[in-house]
Amino acid sequence: MARAVGITLRKLRKQYGPVVAVNDLDLEIAAGEFVSLLGPSGCGKTTTLRMLAGLDFPTSGTISFGERVVNDLAPAKRDVAMVFQSYALYPHMTVGENIAYPLKKRGVPKAELPARVGAVARLLQLEPFLSRKPRHLSGGQQQRVALGRALVRDPEIFLLDEPLSNLDAKLRAHMRTELIELHRKIGKTMVYVTHDQLEAMTMSSRIAVMRGGDLQQFATPIEIYQRPANTFVADFIGTPAMTLLDADLRAQDGHGEVMFGPVSIPLPDNLVNQRRGGTPVKLGIRPEDVLIAENDGFPGTVKVIEPTGHENIVLFSLHNHNITGRVPAQVHLEVGQPVRISFRSARLHLFDRETGLRLS
Amino acid sequence: MTRSNIWTKPLVSLVVWLIVLIVVFPLIWMVLTSVKPQSELFRIPATFWPTRITFEHYQTLLNETLFLKYLRNSIILSTSTTLLVIVVAVLGAFSLTRFAYRGRERIALLVLTTYLLPSVVLVLPLYLMMVRVGIANSLFSLVVAYTTFALPYALWLLRSFMSSMPEELEWAALVDGASRLGAFFDVILPQAIPGIISTALFTFIVTWNEYFYALILVNTDEARPLTTGVITMLVTSFNIEWSLLMAAAVAMSLPLIIIFVFLQGYLVKGFATAGVKG
Amino acid sequence: MSPSLKLPSSSGGQHDPAKEDRLDLTTMPPVIGMSAVGVGQIRKPSWGVSLPTQYSLIGVLLIAPAVLIFALVIAYPLAEAIYLSFFSIYTPTLQGEWVGLANYRAMLSTREFWAALGTNIVWTIGTLVLQVVIGVAIALLLNLNFYFRSLARSLILFPYFVSTVVAVLVWRWMFNDSYGILNRALVVSGLSDMPLDWLGAMPNAMISIILVGAWKYFPFVVIAVLARLQTIPEELYEAARIDGANVWSRFWDVTLPQLREVLIVIVLLRTIWDFKEFDLIYLLTGGGPIAATQTLPLLVYKQAFGMNAMGMASTYAIGIMVVLVTFMVLYLQRTRRGSELQ
Repeated sequence: MARAVGITLRKLRKQYGPVVAVNDLDLEIAAGEFVSLLGPSGCGKTTTLRMLAGLDFPTSGTISFGERVVNDLAPAKRDVAMVFQSYALYPHMTVGENIAYPLKKRGVPKAELPARVGAVARLLQLEPFLSRKPRHLSGGQQQRVALGRALVRDPEIFLLDEPLSNLDAKLRAHMRTELIELHRKIGKTMVYVTHDQLEAMTMSSRIAVMRGGDLQQFATPIEIYQRPANTFVADFIGTPAMTLLDADLRAQDGHGEVMFGPVSIPLPDNLVNQRRGGTPVKLGIRPEDVLIAENDGFPGTVKVIEPTGHENIVLFSLHNHNITGRVPAQVHLEVGQPVRISFRSARLHLFDRETGLRLS
Repeated sequence: MTRSNIWTKPLVSLVVWLIVLIVVFPLIWMVLTSVKPQSELFRIPATFWPTRITFEHYQTLLNETLFLKYLRNSIILSTSTTLLVIVVAVLGAFSLTRFAYRGRERIALLVLTTYLLPSVVLVLPLYLMMVRVGIANSLFSLVVAYTTFALPYALWLLRSFMSSMPEELEWAALVDGASRLGAFFDVILPQAIPGIISTALFTFIVTWNEYFYALILVNTDEARPLTTGVITMLVTSFNIEWSLLMAAAVAMSLPLIIIFVFLQGYLVKGFATAGVKG
Repeated sequence: MSPSLKLPSSSGGQHDPAKEDRLDLTTMPPVIGMSAVGVGQIRKPSWGVSLPTQYSLIGVLLIAPAVLIFALVIAYPLAEAIYLSFFSIYTPTLQGEWVGLANYRAMLSTREFWAALGTNIVWTIGTLVLQVVIGVAIALLLNLNFYFRSLARSLILFPYFVSTVVAVLVWRWMFNDSYGILNRALVVSGLSDMPLDWLGAMPNAMISIILVGAWKYFPFVVIAVLARLQTIPEELYEAARIDGANVWSRFWDVTLPQLREVLIVIVLLRTIWDFKEFDLIYLLTGGGPIAATQTLPLLVYKQAFGMNAMGMASTYAIGIMVVLVTFMVLYLQRTRRGSELQ
C-alpha cells in the first residue's frame, strides 16, 4: 500500500499573458491531510489542481510530492488520481472497464483485475452496474464510478475537482459524509477544490481560501471561521454571511470603542491595542453574535424575517445600517417591530478599512 | 406557424414534395432512360414511362465498354486517397486541437486558405512534377493530386469534430496512467469514430467525382477513373448512345446511392457541422 | 550522497543518483536552506526537456505528415506556378524559355482575357444569386413540418453529391435538340413550336449553364442555412408574433438577421468556387458557342492544351488567383465592417 505523501507548492505561478491565474502560491500540505482549495470561480483553485495533476503547466515555481519535484513528470508518472466535476467516465467502456483502466495502464496482470475491481465495486456498492455503460447510470452512481476509478490504483494523492457540484442537494450531503469516511479509512492526502464553503468546512483538516489567484488564508476551518484573515474570507465563510460595516475605532484612556453612526460599542481591552482615536475600520459581526436584549442594547427595527425551521434569520435595521442576526424560532418577531439589539463584543471582528486585513 | 389547422401539414407536404421531385427529376429521368429499350428513346411522340424495362444497356456497358476497367481504377483511387487522407488528417486534427506549439494557429489558417486555391493554378506544376518524378499518367499520380484538395477539407472537418469533444476524457486517461498516444487510441479515437466516418465518406465521394485533375494528368485508359472514362466514351462514340450513357451515369453514381441509403446520417451531420464554419 | 552538501528538500532537489556527485551550480542556492528556485525559474531535469515541451514535440510530430504533404503538393506547385508564368513553354515537349513579364502584358492586352473575365463574372453572379435565393427558400420550406421530412432533406442533396460528369450527362440529354425531354415538353405543351437550342446559341447557353450550376450547387446553401435555422429559438418568433409581425416581417426581422453570418460565409465560399468552376462549363458547352461561355478557367485549359502555351496558361491561372484573392480581401473587409456597425 502506497504511503501518503505531503505536497509542497513553492511560488507557484500560472500566467496567461498579462492575466495571472495563480500568483506565487506557497502552500505546504502535510501527508494524509484533507485540504480544500476554496474560492469563487476564477480564483485559481482549479488551475492549481490541474497543475498538481500535470494537466497544466506552471509558468514558474515548483510542485513537490514529498521530496520529489514533479514539475516535469507526466500525469501518468505522478501517482495521483483525479475525480473530475463531470466524472469524465469513458463512455464507450463499461463501468468495470472504466475502473480497470488505470490498472491496465500500469501493467497489472489481467488475472488480478477482477479481484481488485471487485473490491472497489463492493466498497462503493457498484457491483450491480459493472457491465453497464456510464450513460445508463444516475449522477450519483457515475460519481461513485469516478471515485472507484481513482481508488482502485491506491495512489499517494487524490485530487478532486468539485466532484459533488453536479449532484442534487440531498445526495450531495450524503456523499459529503461518505467522502469524510473514505478519507478517514484510507488516510491519503486529498486536495479538494470547491466553491461551496459548507463542503470545505465540514470535510477539510485545513482550508486554503483563494481569490483572484492569491492565497487569502490557509488554516483550519475553526480558525478561518473565528479569525478570518481579511474581509474577503470573513464574508465568504459562514452562512448567513457576516455583516460588514464601515465604522471608526476610537481609543480613550485605554478603553476602546467602535462606532458607526450614533452606535458606539465598547470593546474589551484585548481587541483595542494601541490605536489612537479615529481609525477607520470595517466592523464584522457574525449573525450568531447579535443578541436581542431585554433592556440595554441599541434601538433597532425588524426588517425581514426568513424562517428556516429551527431558527429565523432576521435582518435588523439599526440607524439605517442592516445587520443580519439569528434568532431562535421560539422568539416571536414581526416585521417592523422595534427591538433592542446588543452584540457579543468579545466576538466582534475588526478589519483595516483600506486593506481589509484583520486587526488584532 | 400562424393558425395551424388540419390542412397545414398535408398542404405543406404537397408543396415541398413537388419541389423535391422537380429538383430530383433529372436523376429520375436518368434512371428511366437507362432502362428504356433503345427504340423508345427516339420515338416521336416521346414516352415518359418505359413500356418495358430492359437492362440491355447495362449489359452493353459492362461487356462492350471499358467501364469495368474505369470502375476498378476509381475504386482503387478513391479508397487509397481516402485512407491516406484520413490517417494524416486524424493525426493532424489531434495535433491541432490537443497540443500547443508555436505556429499552430498559423497552420490552421493555412489549411483554410489552401482549400480556396483554384485547381487550375496547381495542376500544371503538378503535371510537371509527375513527369519529373516519373509517375505521370498513373493512378498514383492521381492519388497525389487528389490529396491536394481532399486533405485540407478532411483536416478542417476532423478538427471541428475533435475540438467539440470534451477535454476531460483525455485528461482522465492521462491521470489514469496513459501516455498521450495511449490516451489517443483508448479514448479519443473511439469517441471520434462518427466524425471519422463522416469525413471518410465525404472524402470518398469527392475523390470519386473529381474530373479536372483526372482529365489533365491521365490520358491512358489503364489509369483512367470513371469520370474521364465515361466522358471519353461519350466523345469517341460516333453516334452518341444516350441510353448507354445514362446507364453509365447511373452506374457511376452507385457509391453515392449506397451511401445515401445506408449512411446518409453521417454525411449530413458532418457536412452541416463543419462545412459552414468556412 | 555527497557528504558535505545536504540540500534541504525545500530546495526542490531530487535524489537522483546520477546527480548526487555533481554540484549543479545553476540551481545551487547561494545560501544553504534558501529555496533553490528563484521566482521566474523553472527547473528542468537535466536529462530531458520540460513537460510542456515534451508535449509540444509530440504535437509537432503529429502534424508533420500533413505539413509535409502541404509543402510538397500545394506550396511547391504554387510557387512553381508563379515561376512558370514567366516562361513561354511548349506543352508537348515541356521546353520553354524565359520571357519575364511578357505573358502578363500579353494577357492584359488580349480581348480574350477581358471577355473571359466578363463572362466569368456574369456566370458567377448569375448562378450565385440563384443558388442563394433557391437555397434559402428551400431551406425555409424544409424547416417546416411535413410528412417524410428527413427523406426530403436527404433527397434534396443529390444534385450536390452527384458527380459533375453525371449531372452534365443528364442535362445534356435533357437539353438534346430533338430527343431531349425539355424540348419535347415545350413542343407538346404548345409553348413553342420550334425546339430550342439550349447549349448552342446565346443567350441560351449562358442561361443554361447558370441554371445547371444553380441546380447542382444550391443544396450546399440548403444544408448550411437549414442547420442554422434549426438553432433559432422559437421564442424569437413568438415574441415577434405577439408584437404583431406577419410572415414576411418575421422573415425579414427575425430570420434574416440570424442568417446573416451563415450567409456571409456561404456567399464567400460559393463565389470563390463558382468563379473557378471548370468541369461544369467545359462539359456542357466547352466554352461555346464560340467562346461565349468561355470563362477564365476554360481559357487556362485552352492555353495549355489548345494553344500549347503552358507558361501563358500559368499566367492566366495566376490571374484568376489574383482576382479571387482581391475579392476575398475586399469582401471580408466589407463584411467585417458591417458586423462592427451592427
